[in-house]
Amino acid sequence: MNISKKLLERALGRREFFRRAVGVAVAAGLLPLARGQTSAQSSEGLPSFTGPGANPYWNGVNPFVTYPQKLPLLRLTDRGIQLETPRPYFRSPFTPNEAFFVRYHLDLIPNSIDLASWRLGLEGNFDKPLAFSLDDLMKQFEPVSVAAVNQCSGNSRSRFQPRVAGGQWGNGAMGNALWTGVRLSDLLKAAGVKAGTVQFQFQGLERGPGPQGKGSHAFMKSLDSNDPVLEECVVAYLMNDEPLPMLNGFPVRLVVPGKFSTYWMKHLTWIRALTKPDDNFWIATAYRIPDTPRGNTTPAEASQVKTVPIGNVNMPVRSFIVDPDGSSKLIMGLPSKIRGIAFSGYGRVTQVEVSADDGKTWSVATLGTYNGPYAFRTWEYVWKPQKPGKYTLAVRATDEKGNVQPDQGVWNPGGYLWNKIERQEVVVGTAS
Amino acid sequence: MRNYYWILLMALGLFALAQGDTLPGVVQEGNYAPGTLGSITQPLPASSQPDSVYSVGAWPTYTPELADGPGKELVQGYCQVCHSSTYITMQPPLPAATWDAEVKKMINTFGAPIPQDAAAQITAYLQAHYTPETRKP
Repeated sequence: MNISKKLLERALGRREFFRRAVGVAVAAGLLPLARGQTSAQSSEGLPSFTGPGANPYWNGVNPFVTYPQKLPLLRLTDRGIQLETPRPYFRSPFTPNEAFFVRYHLDLIPNSIDLASWRLGLEGNFDKPLAFSLDDLMKQFEPVSVAAVNQCSGNSRSRFQPRVAGGQWGNGAMGNALWTGVRLSDLLKAAGVKAGTVQFQFQGLERGPGPQGKGSHAFMKSLDSNDPVLEECVVAYLMNDEPLPMLNGFPVRLVVPGKFSTYWMKHLTWIRALTKPDDNFWIATAYRIPDTPRGNTTPAEASQVKTVPIGNVNMPVRSFIVDPDGSSKLIMGLPSKIRGIAFSGYGRVTQVEVSADDGKTWSVATLGTYNGPYAFRTWEYVWKPQKPGKYTLAVRATDEKGNVQPDQGVWNPGGYLWNKIERQEVVVGTAS
Repeated sequence: MRNYYWILLMALGLFALAQGDTLPGVVQEGNYAPGTLGSITQPLPASSQPDSVYSVGAWPTYTPELADGPGKELVQGYCQVCHSSTYITMQPPLPAATWDAEVKKMINTFGAPIPQDAAAQITAYLQAHYTPETRKP
């Protein structure tokens, strides 16, 4: 990916596009947006949990709650905070900040930050360790923008069979934003990376009451110093052209295009050049996947299988049906717009196919504006059902590397890497 | 038999409607009922100063009650040092062995200072209320 001034200029165009998209959505009467599971009734609530079978709903079953700077989102946990984005917000190619999902691991997170004393420090194996204020970052470095999907490693974990412990996300632990900030590589250059550096460790203002040296004390992640993704990383101080909401990492967060969120350190405050591989819990024990195709294994083999950090892979290609959501009957003979989003951590989505017969036959959907290789790509397909009945819609995406979404689920004990073909059941009624 | 009462009312309503005052195609109309799923109050805007401090209010907690039973207080006391009990209630029903492993993980991996006896009671509590066999809606 080319992060350059050109991209920033193009980003201005994207901003305008974003504004228009939101304007159109409002004008089209798509509000109220604050809905998770929509339904033709509103007196009976979803169950408070699902399982031991798979969660059958698009989102998780959790209730709406209100948080600072956020519209009502779906509460998984409240300390540490995990909030899921309701389905309708994925109609737009850029996810609104106030609806963007939240995922913390620990409970000591900032409510208030003084930028007069906050600094982003580069320490460890650098020629000259440095500390930057936000003002320094804004003025001393060329701003760059990248549109990129931030997706939790465990997005859709509630689909797993058998179920696994962890955040029981539906599909809403993801979002796409235009991230603007400083190239990570510019910061590393400024400090001068010394020979012998094997990894860079990133730490933010997320802590817990656990003992020093344990994962319950601090959240930290590392990337190998020779990982090509470092060249694409951005230390972002703007999210969709606004300061980051506190819950999404104010004042700056690391953006790692193509990789899962776990590396996108919120409230980024320390960058450390390490001469020995990081052995902290969040790299050495957590967020690891089987070193197998698709990260797949079985409950019986899970304890013996070799594992690697989830950062060794990019996000597998995925696509989602946003509309129709099944809350309204469709009308026979009337064109119905099947639409949604697709993305891949391996680059540009090149094709999205839609099926109206549970995956037996497929038709090519029309792709929306291209916002960069790591952004959501919207798609739509106009379907005119000719017979009344129950239909199962399905969608599958293909990326530029030729990766196609499979119709088989994946299983690993962490509940990571789900990218099975998504389905939506709809009912078509007659028009007379 | 309250349900039948409403069905009777509705049938009477439909009967009344059928007496000539119907609108074309309307199968049912004027059906209101008290909302049972609740409402969410909008937040009042917060004020801030033009200085270098950026603040938000307290993080709200929304923690549902744990199931009643022996060991509940220990769970509240020990587990909630690091996280709220939504980490328990959010989970799908998990097998008894998984709850045992989770408690051990909290102690051995995360360093939770839970005495052996309390840990055993916590595991028993979780197994008594949060497995496929024992979890209640």
